Amino acid sequence: MSGSSIKRSFNLWGMLSAFFAALIILPNVDLFGNLFVQPNENWYHIKTYLLKDYITNTLVIIGFTGVFTVLIGSGMAWLISAYDFPGRRIFNWALILPLTIPPYIGAYTYNGILNYTGVVQRGLRNVLEVQVNPKWLDIMNIQGAIFIFAVFLFPYVYTVTRAFLTNQSASLIENARLLGKNSLEIFVQVVLPISRGAILGGMTLVIFEVLNDYGVVSYFGVQTFSTAIFKAWFSMGDIDTAVKLSGVLMTIVISVLLLERGLRGRKKYSYTTSKVRPIVRTRLRGMKGFWAFFVSFIFLSLGFIIPVLQLLVWSTLTFKKVFNIAFLKLLGNSVVVALVAALIILGVAVIIANFSRLQENWVGKLFTKVTLLGYSIPGAVISIGVILFFVDFDRKLEWFYKALNPNSITLVLSSSVVMLIFAYSVRFLAVGYQSIEAGFEKVGKKFFEASRMLGNGVTKTFFRVDLPMIKPAVISAFALTFVDIVKELPLTLILRPYNFNTLATKTYEYATDEMIHEAAIPALLIILVSITSVYLLNKLGEKEGI
Amino acid sequence: MKKRRFAGMLAVLTLAGAVLTGCSATSSTTVQTESSSPQGEKTSQVVNIYSDRHYETDKLLLEEFSKETGIKVNVIEGKSDELIERLAREGKDSQADLLVTADVGRLHRAKEQGLLQSAESDTLSKNVPENLKDKDNQWYGLTVRARVLVYAKDRVDPSQLSTYEDLTDPKWKKKILVRSSDNIYNQSLLASFIAVNGEEKAKAWAKGIVDNMARTPKGSDRDQAKAVVAGEGDVAIMNTYYYGLLLNSSDSEEVKVAKQLGVFFPNQSTTGTHINVSGAGVTASAKNKENAIKLVEFLSSEKAQKQFAEANFEYPANPAVEPSDLLKSWGTFKPQTINLTKLGENNNNAVQIFSQVGWK
Repeated sequence: MSGSSIKRSFNLWGMLSAFFAALIILPNVDLFGNLFVQPNENWYHIKTYLLKDYITNTLVIIGFTGVFTVLIGSGMAWLISAYDFPGRRIFNWALILPLTIPPYIGAYTYNGILNYTGVVQRGLRNVLEVQVNPKWLDIMNIQGAIFIFAVFLFPYVYTVTRAFLTNQSASLIENARLLGKNSLEIFVQVVLPISRGAILGGMTLVIFEVLNDYGVVSYFGVQTFSTAIFKAWFSMGDIDTAVKLSGVLMTIVISVLLLERGLRGRKKYSYTTSKVRPIVRTRLRGMKGFWAFFVSFIFLSLGFIIPVLQLLVWSTLTFKKVFNIAFLKLLGNSVVVALVAALIILGVAVIIANFSRLQENWVGKLFTKVTLLGYSIPGAVISIGVILFFVDFDRKLEWFYKALNPNSITLVLSSSVVMLIFAYSVRFLAVGYQSIEAGFEKVGKKFFEASRMLGNGVTKTFFRVDLPMIKPAVISAFALTFVDIVKELPLTLILRPYNFNTLATKTYEYATDEMIHEAAIPALLIILVSITSVYLLNKLGEKEGI
Repeated sequence: MKKRRFAGMLAVLTLAGAVLTGCSATSSTTVQTESSSPQGEKTSQVVNIYSDRHYETDKLLLEEFSKETGIKVNVIEGKSDELIERLAREGKDSQADLLVTADVGRLHRAKEQGLLQSAESDTLSKNVPENLKDKDNQWYGLTVRARVLVYAKDRVDPSQLSTYEDLTDPKWKKKILVRSSDNIYNQSLLASFIAVNGEEKAKAWAKGIVDNMARTPKGSDRDQAKAVVAGEGDVAIMNTYYYGLLLNSSDSEEVKVAKQLGVFFPNQSTTGTHINVSGAGVTASAKNKENAIKLVEFLSSEKAQKQFAEANFEYPANPAVEPSDLLKSWGTFKPQTINLTKLGENNNNAVQIFSQVGWK
């Protein structure tokens, strides 16, 4: 293959990446514009009376949630990858399950367990006749919010880190073992440093999720930065200030990320040999095995088993009243839109990630940052940009619609499911991207270079060498995005077409009217769909020898 | 070489928009055939709703309406603020004909933004009392809820209760439970006080409540009721229908909680108990205005009102219809008589007062 044709095929990757990047930026242009609008009275009001407390709360929540999710997520990933103990095969995939529960449902559920009519106080009161001070069991505070975020979001770190550690050339860890380091030393001195990229990638997702949360914090009465955004919008009816606040938030977050990338510098840990093989897992026997099981079980229980049991109990109370055949339709809608959007995201993420890792200059870095854009702004705010974008677009295409059908309405695309799927793709690209980027980082460029040396083009190399090697990352990227989209709420709520309902919107309908018992059934179905997908993907992974 | 690549990149970026056009245009044909049936048809009759009410019985009522009139009803449910924003962004091209919200402040906000239009109808003038509709007929109230006091029966004698204002008395120190000021029902409550008592007094009231709060505001209205029974405070401010929901909960423990609480309508000998409505307004961009009016007429009719209000333990707006037995058992009450438009007008002011006095 001649040099010029190689370049042409590489340019195809660049062009596609640029195209996708443009698609992500365009709907947000309007939001950026708002950054430079003169601040108004509401802005000053929020700044004077509220912002200081809100920022403090936000930093506290992010700090603690970040630390806890990294400790739990990377610790569990290490335990699962390097040791064998009773139940490991199940925990291996089950530890991703807490992600299937939307945090706001988790918050309602835990409060339902712990409040005055909850199973704990009720049991103490009715059976043991003990009246505890309700303040002791109160979860509705800042600590409670941190707890909710930590137990439901740690799988972001877990999944990305595990994908990195699995198949990581085992030599570093085995050498450390030979040198007589104990488990803790290996974890701190070897595992954490080499998987730093993956851990930070997962933590980035957690932090975005926390920053954009409004459901948990507003229910618990904890004021954060997103409270300010939604106070401006919902309470003051001032969307411009809301968007401006989101813009400020986004700018800060992106700058911090850029800084982090800068600090990490050129340190890269990738395969050092071509003999890629899994870590030889140490078998834990006796008490050690029990403790490993116990710790895994605790985190799975907190993030999944306990809330699901509670939801099951509630669903038996309301099953007759709520459940009907129409739920099948909701289920179908949820699965189809999530499937389509997740596949689009995977395609886009793989293309941009491959391009930017090979293009080691500012263009590549810029595209990487662009993928984060949709995830760094609250969904409800993005949806406004998306509507504007599509309405504009439809107006420009009106002549075309009319040519096809003289009676056509103007807003064809913006009243179809296309707008929703587009918005999902913009929003959750970051989730798929982090995972795939970590996969590429692990593989490194040696194999790519070898293949190129042997005369293969970029595209051929990608399909024959790179893609098979990053398969575990692709699979975990799919699982994460699919699960995220199935439970997604704000975008679905506002961007859906007429008469289009999903499991998430059904859950919201009940939960928003404080009917958590009724909400249990659609919430459980969301969880069921997600478990099925996680389980199937895990099977697929095992078959591929991952 | 680098330069060339960079130039290529720029070209791609500028081309992206054009490619996008082609790309989406091909997909739009399929989309169009799919989606034109709900909204696009001119021949068969439809009405398109943006709604933030979501009760099963509402759906049954809409089906009933379709059966009676042959008009198909299409719905997008969501949060009122987001639906209003969508309506605004879609502008004149919006397919929505009717906006339904569970709070009058939101209807007013939509009106202020020019998103609604007047809808004159003799039936509506007959069915909906003057104070429950917009003065320009841009929206009509359909159901009424009161924001009342609930108290612990074992600790509070109802004779100790009198007015909202009395809750700021030092005797209630650390006894009052109420949710966050981000909640629209609290905003409307304070907005009504601004209208009734003036801004000074309204602010003093909010400050007084903050001083008497049993805890930092958190949770839902139901959670306030539970906190009263749990002994965290003695009196909670909550909407009547949330109490109704609690009393009819599928969880027996919640029913027990509700039974330990009494409902008190404040300000009976003064300005009246605060009320709010859920209501509907025809959109400015309505393509099916007649159908939209027909639907509102239907929902305000004697036949539909009972079901529409009872769905959520609310009071019917139509005075010819009696409230449910449960609501009657709480007794009749004197509501605030201000025009509900005031709640919308004073909303911003209320929000600002809340943050000034530190009502979280």
